[in-house]
Amino acid sequence: MNELLRAEGISKTYLDSGREVMAMQDVSLHIGEGECLGVVGESGSGKSTLGRLLLALERPEQGNIKFQGVSFADLRGKALHSLRRHIQVVFQDPTASLNQRLPVWRSVMEPLDNFPEVTPPFLADVRHSRRESAARLLEMVGLSREHLDRYPHELSGGQRQRVAIARGVSLNPKLLICDEPTSSLDVSVQAQILKLLKHLQTRLGMACLFISHDIAAVRMICDRIIVMKDGRIVDEFASGRIMGEDRHAYTRLLIRGAE
Amino acid sequence: MTRQLLNPKESGNRTEGEQRTLPPFQETSSSRTTPVLQLNGLTVQIQQGRRITPIVGDASFTIHPGETLALVGESGSGKSVTAGAILGLLPPSMRVTAGQIVFQGEDIAPWPVKKRRILCGGRIGYVFQDYQGSFTPFIKIGKQMIETIRSHRRLSAKQAKAVALESLDQVGLPAERVFDSYPFQLSGGQLQRAALASTMVLRPAILIADEPTTALDVLTGERVLDVMDRLKRQTGCAVLFISHDLRLVLKRADSVAVMRGGSIVEWGRMNAIRDHARHPYTQMLLKARPSLSEIQAGLVREDEDELVVACKMGGSA
Repeated sequence: MNELLRAEGISKTYLDSGREVMAMQDVSLHIGEGECLGVVGESGSGKSTLGRLLLALERPEQGNIKFQGVSFADLRGKALHSLRRHIQVVFQDPTASLNQRLPVWRSVMEPLDNFPEVTPPFLADVRHSRRESAARLLEMVGLSREHLDRYPHELSGGQRQRVAIARGVSLNPKLLICDEPTSSLDVSVQAQILKLLKHLQTRLGMACLFISHDIAAVRMICDRIIVMKDGRIVDEFASGRIMGEDRHAYTRLLIRGAE
Repeated sequence: MTRQLLNPKESGNRTEGEQRTLPPFQETSSSRTTPVLQLNGLTVQIQQGRRITPIVGDASFTIHPGETLALVGESGSGKSVTAGAILGLLPPSMRVTAGQIVFQGEDIAPWPVKKRRILCGGRIGYVFQDYQGSFTPFIKIGKQMIETIRSHRRLSAKQAKAVALESLDQVGLPAERVFDSYPFQLSGGQLQRAALASTMVLRPAILIADEPTTALDVLTGERVLDVMDRLKRQTGCAVLFISHDLRLVLKRADSVAVMRGGSIVEWGRMNAIRDHARHPYTQMLLKARPSLSEIQAGLVREDEDELVVACKMGGSA
């Protein structure tokens, strides 16, 4: 498997009412092409900070992140813009991540509108039409043409998250970062969204960084799992080794909660 | 002391096989005692303009002393409305239009609001998902607890303080410090435990816990539920545990009622629901959240056909 992304020794601090809080300490990881890497941890463990750093929304104080061998730190302007094409995101709360005033087809098309030169293979025959492209993307996530002109409030939570996923994959990114994508959904809908993500990940051959506090969900769709606690990586293992005897005590605690 | 209270509880919970063959309302020795709470055909309707829509229809279940009944359902299933009806805390647009809410042998549904208020928070305790809403933000926890205690019990301020401190100690909090803290100075898990202490201090016959851990981390949530279980054993109170997460409640409940679209579609002992769920909806909920060991054993396969179904369902979900 070719390496897609590598982070080495990244640290990040935040200021919380004048005090410095270490959100991330000396974290190193790598993601292979087409690999699904899970990040498990509780709130405050630094897993969302990790997501923002890998999206280049924030920069680490120490350490380095490389995407296909190119360091984030060297990227400015146009180069950074083209990086964003390859790393896309799905957030926890689709109500917040979708523009409430736009019909969903326009939200779905935002990334493609920002990158007019990009034509993903799955849109090759419809890219000339924005609406047709949007319709194709909605079909890919299990929605239909009739949803094109709906507004977010007219959709259920699961449908809204499908729209956010359609937008996330629209540029055929090499890496999709999913930050708690199912946490605000009903249990039955969670399962559907997980299956959809896994299906798209395999079909499009994209890598995925799946951030969640739900270790069972992570186990279900990821190839490899990282466990974070207090801004550090405390455990790392192949999914199938989750019950292995070499698991960290903290991982075992999380597992106990999911059995 | 704890252990003595604990033992009869556990013996009431023995033989799985035997219990499965019996319908839940005839089960175990506890059926001979008076139930703490019994819903008989509870129906709640909501009025929006001229339109009247039922949101809970003909809901029935029974909770015995010392028993935990989990009421499980997804958002909009009517589980929180059911809790609201029991507590007498329904919004003005909703009304109980049929059925009984029998608390310790007496139907409280027709009681006037004032009489209900005394019961609610006293003999019927509650904690909600929104632990931040459990306390007034700018008054210290201790002061609020004393107020709660003294509005239900004839105690001096000094006595009430002693009771409050003991209660905080019982939920595993540093009592003195929490007593002197404002709500915002505590973490989510601490606040939820303080809320538990505050409601359990009045020794309710039943505790209604509506999604008590949904806003908390997995491990923090587990600790809160551990405390809840311990308090239940120590005081012998019953618990109505409301949650969207069937997997979670299976670890904690004696019996489970599954709610969908305002109706209870299945109600039975925990073991029976876990191993022999009859209703397709219950089966779906179990399948939607397989346990780690089930995933590990490969019982859950990524089935392409299933995905297609899931996608189609997504169109209407």
